Amino acid sequence: MTTLYLERASAVHRLNPVTKLVALLAIIAIVFAVPQWWVPLGIVVFVVVPAAVLARVGGRLLRLFLILLLPLLVVLFIVQGFFFPDGTTVLWQWGPARLTVEGLVFSLTIGSRLSALVLGSLVFVLTTHPARLMTSLTQAGMSAKIAYVISASLQIIPAFQERARSILLAQQARGLEIAGGPLRRARALLPLIAPLVLGMITDVDERSTAMEARAFGATPRPTSLTVVDDPLSERIGRWLLAATAAAVIVLVVVGVIA
Amino acid sequence: MIELRDVAFAYEDAPAFTLAHLDLDVAAGTIMGIVGASGSGKTTLAKIIAGFIPSTEGGTYRGTASVAGAVLSEGTLTEAVDVVGLVTQNPFNQISGARFTVREELAFGLENRSVERSQMIERVNTVAATLGLTPLLDRSPYALSGGQMQLVAIASMVVMAPPVLVLDEPTSQLDPAGTRLVYDVLGRLSEGGTTIVIIEHKTELLHEHCDAIAVLAGGRIVSTGTPASVFADDRLSTWGVGQTRITQAAREARTRGLLPATEPLPVGVSDGAAVFGTNGETR
Amino acid sequence: MNDLTIRIEALRHTYESGVEAVAGVDLTIAPGERVAIVGQNGAGKTTLVRHLNGMVRPTEGTVHIGDWSTSDKSIAELSHRVGYVFQNPDEQIFARTVESDVAFGPKNLGFEPEQITESVTSALEAVGLAHEAQVHPHHLSLSERKRVAIAAVLAMRTPIVVLDEPTTGQDEGGVRLIASIIDDLTARGITVVAITHDMDFCVENFERVVVMARGTVRADGSTEQVFADQPALEAAAVEPPQLARLARVLGWSETAVDPSSFVDAFERRRRG
Repeated sequence: MTTLYLERASAVHRLNPVTKLVALLAIIAIVFAVPQWWVPLGIVVFVVVPAAVLARVGGRLLRLFLILLLPLLVVLFIVQGFFFPDGTTVLWQWGPARLTVEGLVFSLTIGSRLSALVLGSLVFVLTTHPARLMTSLTQAGMSAKIAYVISASLQIIPAFQERARSILLAQQARGLEIAGGPLRRARALLPLIAPLVLGMITDVDERSTAMEARAFGATPRPTSLTVVDDPLSERIGRWLLAATAAAVIVLVVVGVIA
Repeated sequence: MIELRDVAFAYEDAPAFTLAHLDLDVAAGTIMGIVGASGSGKTTLAKIIAGFIPSTEGGTYRGTASVAGAVLSEGTLTEAVDVVGLVTQNPFNQISGARFTVREELAFGLENRSVERSQMIERVNTVAATLGLTPLLDRSPYALSGGQMQLVAIASMVVMAPPVLVLDEPTSQLDPAGTRLVYDVLGRLSEGGTTIVIIEHKTELLHEHCDAIAVLAGGRIVSTGTPASVFADDRLSTWGVGQTRITQAAREARTRGLLPATEPLPVGVSDGAAVFGTNGETR
Repeated sequence: MNDLTIRIEALRHTYESGVEAVAGVDLTIAPGERVAIVGQNGAGKTTLVRHLNGMVRPTEGTVHIGDWSTSDKSIAELSHRVGYVFQNPDEQIFARTVESDVAFGPKNLGFEPEQITESVTSALEAVGLAHEAQVHPHHLSLSERKRVAIAAVLAMRTPIVVLDEPTTGQDEGGVRLIASIIDDLTARGITVVAITHDMDFCVENFERVVVMARGTVRADGSTEQVFADQPALEAAAVEPPQLARLARVLGWSETAVDPSSFVDAFERRRRG
């Protein structure tokens, strides 16, 4: 498996993936609608991080934050904080670099929105098995064919890696020296990409026939082996989340929140 | 159950017909073994019986192939797979590629058939148990050995319980124990009324398990009959099909005057024991 | 011309998953010998032979190919001494034409251009695919691709050749062809180590058989000895060749493994 999913026994993991997806979408809608920078920050601190801790994926989330998000936030702070063109309230100046209040607020707004979006999505991915997600989405009415395409694309990466690994091994067994570190390895892999992709395409052709042989597409409403619970409380929760997000957007539009 | 009448097929751009003037009958509930050298057209024949040709393969198709009374070339593949299940040669391309565990993989066909969940679980568990796959049910389909993947491919078709099952070299990557397991399952299915066509090189196993054998050579069926009669045929090696070592030994014993020429040549261990046993004791 | 002894000493291999695939194996194979390795799937056969060219490294113990310890050499270095044919040809074949796939090994091993042409041509002739040299491997059948995989290793002209289930998917003619390739290798002094499930092929082409079960060697000796060792075969769930099973049903003490010697034994018994 090359997805980020981490197997844990937690309430967050047990939630119906659709509920988590709706929550994620509601968070994204709210943080981008509301202009105040402290709203997304509050959501990160009081919703996203506690959820990650509850799901026991906090450590991994921190690591991903440091690798993926922190460098971006630093760049954002430097560029927008010091070089914000519309900045008037100067706090500190050195040459062309002016630290302005407006620049700080702008970088805080964008940075906190980005954090809520990325961290929220990461918690979703870390706690949701793709198979469960697909099942819950088909249960919620998504077409089986679309679900198949999404699942198959998630699986194609490990399949591809496995194939590349075995062919690379076979090439070494026929005298290809790749001991010179990652660069050499990459150079050995490069000529493999075309035949691997071609091979995959040939496989896809054969596989699509095999899928038909297993009655794929025979009925518009296939049943499912795995069933994801969808209790009433979660369905109510989803409506509440959606209603909250809608209410916030309306308040922003009519100008109550400005 | 299966009736092929004057069937011929040539692949697109191929210089010659892969199969020509082919007639074949398989009775309901029996196991038919198809043997022949590589390139004799066995896989093409399997695809015709399963309705894959002509529906998914371009080329020239003639004749009629009917399974359970339906002429497959007149319907869609989806209709054909209601009646016939095909286990293809390459198990890797038989798995859906969209399921994360072997259990889900086995259920895939049943889901597509809208089988009710409780029944689905029961059928998956039963088939997995008979093919020794129970310990693998929660594994990823990509984390299997070739032999295991082959068993999963067979199980994924068996679980759908089609009235006709066609298997193209289903035991090529299995050890003798795994091979026996597959044949035991096929035997039980046939007792339950399933009609089975199996392409296989292993003469001894076919002799043990099949009701009839058809020999394919150069795109035509050159011989059909009971396993005992077909596999003892002198012409077998000219068709590129292997005789068992017991048949070879019995033939040699016959030429050396040690066995009477009137008795049929044995193929397996039990008929071999009868022939060599009785003739060994006489003097 | 081949003086490389294979020496496997106290070998153990445990995979990351915790599975101990090889659990203490000692095995010496002399130059030019041909050895069949038999046993159920999962007995550790493939893991054992993958040590010979360094694709798998010892967790404990050592594997020597002549004076080289496989622990100190890269797979590429070891490929000068050991050619390895994978069980599944699709794990091995990658080039756009049969010819270029077969030429891959000789090129890496630094053959001269005319030597490459010569070794590729003769390897393709040996497996009966000379007429398919310019074909894309995808257009060949599985049994033909298996023979391409064998040719790719023959062309490397290594003193040791390892074959993982060479007869899979082959018809009678294919099996005979592979048997004749092995004869040819032996005639040139090349050591052949083969994994096989085909017991008839095993007894007719190998003078020495190693029986494996649960990562250990259960029996090792001449073909006749090993197939007479009923307890070891049963422990390893290895089914003896057909004529050996018949001999047992007939209550014979000797094990005749090929048709001619079986008929000889039959004749002796009739004479009484």
